[in-house]
Amino acid sequence: MTYDCIVIGAGLAGLVSGLRLAEAGLQVLIIAKGHGATHWAHGAVGVAHGSSPAATVTYLAGQPNHPYARAGLAALAPALNLLQAHCAAADYPFSGDLARNQYLPTALGARLPLAFVPATMAAGAVPRADAAALLIAGFQELRDFFPSLMAANLRAQGVAAQAQWLSLPTTARRHGFTPTILAELFEQPSFRQAVGRQLRAVRGTATQIAFPAVLGQSQAARVVADLSDHAGVPVFEVPTLPPSVPGMRLYTILAQAFTSAGGRIQLGSWITRVESNAGRITALYSAAAAREQRHQAATFLLATGGIAGGGFRAEQSGQLTETALGLPVVAPAHRGAWFANQFIAPQPIHTAGILTDAALRPIAANGAPLYTNLVVAGAALGGTDLIREGSYEGVALATGWYAAGTVLNDLLGVREPVDQAATFTKELL
Amino acid sequence: MSDPILQSLEQSLDHCIKCNICTTACPVAAVTDLFPGPKYVGPQAQRFRRPGQPSPDHSVDYCSGCRVCNMVCPTGVKIAELNARARAEIVAERGLPLRNRLLGRAELLGQVGDLFAPLANWTLRNGPLRQVIERTIGVDRHAPLPPFSGQTFRRIFRKRRGRLRSATKKVVFFHGCATNYYEPHVGLAAVEVLEHNGFEVILARQRCCGLPMLSNGEFAAARQQHEANLQTLLPWVRRGYPIVGTSTSCTLTLKEEAPELLGIHSADARLLTAHTWDICEFLRDLHERGELRTDFALPPEFTDGPLPYHPPCQLRAHRIGRPALDLLTLIPGLRVAESEAACCGIAGTYGLKQEKYQIGMDVGAGLFRFVRETAATMPQPLALCDSETCRWQITHGSAVPTKHPIEILRDAYRAGGNLTGTQVH
Repeated sequence: MTYDCIVIGAGLAGLVSGLRLAEAGLQVLIIAKGHGATHWAHGAVGVAHGSSPAATVTYLAGQPNHPYARAGLAALAPALNLLQAHCAAADYPFSGDLARNQYLPTALGARLPLAFVPATMAAGAVPRADAAALLIAGFQELRDFFPSLMAANLRAQGVAAQAQWLSLPTTARRHGFTPTILAELFEQPSFRQAVGRQLRAVRGTATQIAFPAVLGQSQAARVVADLSDHAGVPVFEVPTLPPSVPGMRLYTILAQAFTSAGGRIQLGSWITRVESNAGRITALYSAAAAREQRHQAATFLLATGGIAGGGFRAEQSGQLTETALGLPVVAPAHRGAWFANQFIAPQPIHTAGILTDAALRPIAANGAPLYTNLVVAGAALGGTDLIREGSYEGVALATGWYAAGTVLNDLLGVREPVDQAATFTKELL
Repeated sequence: MSDPILQSLEQSLDHCIKCNICTTACPVAAVTDLFPGPKYVGPQAQRFRRPGQPSPDHSVDYCSGCRVCNMVCPTGVKIAELNARARAEIVAERGLPLRNRLLGRAELLGQVGDLFAPLANWTLRNGPLRQVIERTIGVDRHAPLPPFSGQTFRRIFRKRRGRLRSATKKVVFFHGCATNYYEPHVGLAAVEVLEHNGFEVILARQRCCGLPMLSNGEFAAARQQHEANLQTLLPWVRRGYPIVGTSTSCTLTLKEEAPELLGIHSADARLLTAHTWDICEFLRDLHERGELRTDFALPPEFTDGPLPYHPPCQLRAHRIGRPALDLLTLIPGLRVAESEAACCGIAGTYGLKQEKYQIGMDVGAGLFRFVRETAATMPQPLALCDSETCRWQITHGSAVPTKHPIEILRDAYRAGGNLTGTQVH
């Protein structure tokens, strides 16, 4: 079995690049250690801080090693189209605007700038101090979501927020109400009707109701619409601590789209080594029972994430290694230089990453490509602090799309439609 | 901590970052609150398990051992192995119920059932007797127990005429208990396919791989099984012959489950591991080296489709992708639809037990629906799965007959018209 492309990593960058390649008719394998970043993250799309994400992306693209300098708005726009098309087809539409961020409250009551949000979060833009009243509801049975904590922090920012525990409708289950279990319960119309009735009874003067993001799995948009109907005011989801139900929805939609397009996903497989010849990777090996499995492909795409995603690991010496292929990682010289003196400050270690050329091929210190048939996408790229910038998903989407473009270019001779992209960028700005 | 495997299990729990991804994927925790989830009974409870201390968490017995947790864990925690060892400690503390002792002895059951096949099969089909069995030993009256074939695979194999001999290409076939006592036709399909590719098939002496004992926490007995297999299989392995099996659970046990759970890591055990193959993995490897015959044609009964295929948990635990799917794509015109279900619910002997039967059926509900809906488009509905107990459970839950992929490959070689091996009907 020889693939056209093997994508390493099943997070947002890996899924989007794999999907683009599979839809272009290529034979693609996505191989990954397990589930990862999608199941941890909020499941919406952060592109960049600032009132206009597009303007911030353009600014960031001016920094020579920033991922947006390689794959900016021209790649981000078609990647978002791909994501939105598949999510809409799965009755989980995303809405938003690259010209304007929406600010959604987190479970701590902070404001998270997001460019695109799923329909379940759409009613959640944080109200202005002089405007509406917000009710934050939840179940005590769900660990790690505290309406009163969130309400107190929002009140400190001038938002009229109140907290309310609801009583969990009786079910066959007595304990173990994890986010996924609750999401399954909300798929049942009778369950959400019972919750909706309670919301109506306790809502008072509230004009919006926030709820932990456990409102359904495959029918989430429908669940939120029904709850809003029952409650009489718009209900929206607030991302929880991991595991993230909205992130799982995104994974499921993209993974199903990928396999429907003929792609194959292999989880639970750790890359152990790489085989190369004359500057090209010829095969990868993954750990398996009894013996390694050999995987052959014409091209390879690394999307294993950064430190959080497990793409890098720190050795005792303080040196960072890239865990799948052993690529060189650009990072602070020693442990002492990893962190700033203050917790809330840019942390140098967060900028660690793999250096690439303009086509996202990893390069050595002298600028020469390490392998001519390998590209890198997502948080493994480094060169910036994605969390701090609020650009985690934006970079994953843009570079995933763009890296897949390099692969298509190499394999099929497809050129990126540069002129069209430039026009599009101009329109946005 | 002299046992390096125990050490690696213990160390793997320190990689747990408490993200609960395993809990979201666990098919058992999704359908019952008797099992709190892999993170809680695995890496979390493991911190409280110390030699000489009572077991902190008996709910670990509700782990089905499907290993979905291992597959999705982003940090490599060996959750299923931690749970299997924890169950063995509970068995050591409290003793083993008669039912579990029986279910662990697949080979003994097979031998007895083979001797009295008509009577045994009548008993298994007899409703009132099954109620008695349920009440006395706790095997659920509805659980899918297959009929004994009445002729063991070994006996049929020895009676075959015109067996292929080869001076250079030989494989040892590990048939396991299911093929020997219940489904000889699966073994015969494998023999036909191997012989068609020029391999002489050797039937070495072999015992039950011991997996049913391992999954019921009876480690000492499982060790005896593995050591007996080492003795009879090693002489062949030393001559360089691969051990090939159609049961994904037997081959997984020889490869990894037995050595890892029992802490058997001698050079001999490693040698056996290195020579053991799942049949489809073996054939795929041949194909990748350009040595597999590809004179397949589409058997007329499969012109419609797609055929639903479920990759069983014990295959996924090999971590070798989907070798059966890779091979089936070589059959021109065959369409296959892969199930996305986590598990069929049977997990070896788990779903046979009275207190777990319904959990198993609830776990498998999504798969049964997928199989029924997909197979509905075929004039003669059929599903595919590599593992025997899963096939029985899929058929039990969906009423769709289920075959091993090797049977389809054999049919496709036959349809190709050049099958050289001896056919057995």
